[in-house]
Amino acid sequence: MHIPDGYLSPETCAVMYGATAPFWVVAARRVRRVVKTRYVPLLALGAAYCFLVMMFNVPVPDGTTAHAVGAVLVAVLLGPWAAVIAVSVALAIQALFFGDGGVLAFGANCFNMAVVMPFVGYALYRAIAGRAFLTSPRRALAAGVGAYVGINAAALCAAIEFGLQPDLFYKTTATGGHVPLYAPFHLSQTIPAMLGAHLLVAGVVEFVLTVGVIAYLQRANLPILRINHPGLPDAAGQRVADDGRAVERRPRLRGIFIGLAGLVALVPLGLLASGGAFGEDSPSALDLRKYGLDAVPTGLQRYGDFWSSALFPGYDFEHGSHPNLGYYASAVLGTVLIAGVVVAGFRVAAVSRRRRDRRGGRDRDRADAGAEREPVGR
Amino acid sequence: MGTDESATTATTRRLSPDWLLRDEIGLCPCGCVGKRRRGGFVEKTLSGVSGLVRGAMFSEDVAATPGLLQRIDARVKVVTLLGLLVVAAFLHSIAALATMYVVALVVASASRLSVRFFVARVWLFVPVFTGIVVLPATLNLVTPGTIVVPLGHWFGGPVGLTAEGLESAGLIVMRVAVSISLVVLLTLTTPWTRLLHALRSLRLPATVILVLAMAYRYLFHLLAAVEDMYTARRARTVVPDRDLRNGRRFVAASAGALFGKAYGLSEEVYLAMVARGFTGDVRLLAPDRVKRRDLAWCVACGGLGLVLLWGDRVLG
Repeated sequence: MHIPDGYLSPETCAVMYGATAPFWVVAARRVRRVVKTRYVPLLALGAAYCFLVMMFNVPVPDGTTAHAVGAVLVAVLLGPWAAVIAVSVALAIQALFFGDGGVLAFGANCFNMAVVMPFVGYALYRAIAGRAFLTSPRRALAAGVGAYVGINAAALCAAIEFGLQPDLFYKTTATGGHVPLYAPFHLSQTIPAMLGAHLLVAGVVEFVLTVGVIAYLQRANLPILRINHPGLPDAAGQRVADDGRAVERRPRLRGIFIGLAGLVALVPLGLLASGGAFGEDSPSALDLRKYGLDAVPTGLQRYGDFWSSALFPGYDFEHGSHPNLGYYASAVLGTVLIAGVVVAGFRVAAVSRRRRDRRGGRDRDRADAGAEREPVGR
Repeated sequence: MGTDESATTATTRRLSPDWLLRDEIGLCPCGCVGKRRRGGFVEKTLSGVSGLVRGAMFSEDVAATPGLLQRIDARVKVVTLLGLLVVAAFLHSIAALATMYVVALVVASASRLSVRFFVARVWLFVPVFTGIVVLPATLNLVTPGTIVVPLGHWFGGPVGLTAEGLESAGLIVMRVAVSISLVVLLTLTTPWTRLLHALRSLRLPATVILVLAMAYRYLFHLLAAVEDMYTARRARTVVPDRDLRNGRRFVAASAGALFGKAYGLSEEVYLAMVARGFTGDVRLLAPDRVKRRDLAWCVACGGLGLVLLWGDRVLG
């Protein structure tokens, strides 16, 4: 996707420089404000990393390899504004020192790969990941989807830049023919060509690399992910305390209780309903003709009233004695019974898990006693 | 990225020893030693890494040889060659672009650049990328016009190469060749420290120059880390792994580990900068004074640009 010089008209190049410049200025200001004087080495190393990510060959079927751009990956790790600068500097080094991508087309390349790609990808990542905890698989998947869509958005931009050239910049020959001066293909040809290649191959490579790197960091180097995600819990059931440490969170049950109370309060709705559900009452109440039957099936007859010693037969104390009060009492009692069983089950599970953790922790401490832990991020 | 094999034979005088720039015999992809095998992603990444280092060392070597462009002040070179790049973008005739290419060749040989290498570097790239991309555009299906090479009837109509399509293809191929030549001339004859310094003359903020310079410097540091990881992987490989999932897991893990290294390194570099008194102000060395030959070069480039633009207007 690195556009070399000669494909775009100088006018287009100027417009693309103009479109990218505000992003550079805002990005420089924002990054400087967030990381203070630390921004110089951070951006320099980020740019060097961007450059190298483009060198990683990802194996794809058929024995060939392809490389990714990694702009969305850097946006997820360092934030989209830092990604704008890091990818731009990487592209500048490629254009100036290694002749990959044009110098005049640098603005266009930056617009596609350093602005559109990280912002589109990062917006999608945020939308999909939401407040999911840091080690959630959803987060890795969201980054991958963001990368896939991001690179395709960048390819679409490049296709539009190419496709506009023959219609805007041409010279007329003596015979009246049109000679395109720059990229000769029209929008109807560039868009399918660019998107086809990126939807099928480059996007998939980008997806694979981004998901892989985020999943690796979730397993192996969580502090790196915390750089751009402060205040997010590491795992389900945790919250971040004021000192930045993750602590166990008590499960929030209030919402569940409110919902249940609401359902209990709405019980009279059941009394208002007319008619009956099929088979809810005793077999004798069945409308046999409606179902094409001559008699109640013998099995149903025999077992229909098998359980006759219920506490509230027909949701009532005694059949028909206090219909409304009985209905209410059975709703409350049923709710309490079910909640009690569920709470008891969770208690048992929690106690057994705590015991297991305590045993596992002792084993781990013993294993760690000899080895010194390496500091994070080296 | 990187350079091709002809890079090693380009100049006679070099600072880097021959053995460092030579391909390893065991890695020869042409099959001269051992059985030809399609290189996996590990080999490809490793050869990419070595190609990058080779290219960087080669351009430093070329920049150190005494020649025409090497003597010109870097700032003047940046401004004039970028100016010519803009002129090339505005030219509308193949003849003007061809003239410019010939001038570039003359300047290259005056700068002690091997013309063979210079031509190969540009024309190995142009046919592979631009040529193939532009080829279909010569058909009347893309560029309608007078058919000069008929290719029969397809899709219910005559199909062939059009005069307009051929001229357009020639224009874009020549323009890409001239543009690449100019950038190669600039980057090969200027040590990167001077080139960075010269970018100040384009009114780039000092901070940007500092970030660029540090990124370039630590690029090679991280490159060594990548090489270590991949060489270690190759050393552990007895039989090439056919499982793509394993390969992808390794690539993702090494890219993730590399980010950890880069981030840790940025912290260390920051602390080292603070220890040396960095407060956020960026100061660069004062530039040299522009000499008379730099002015002469400026005038020559300006004249060439004007003549080409005028000629282009006349030729139509």
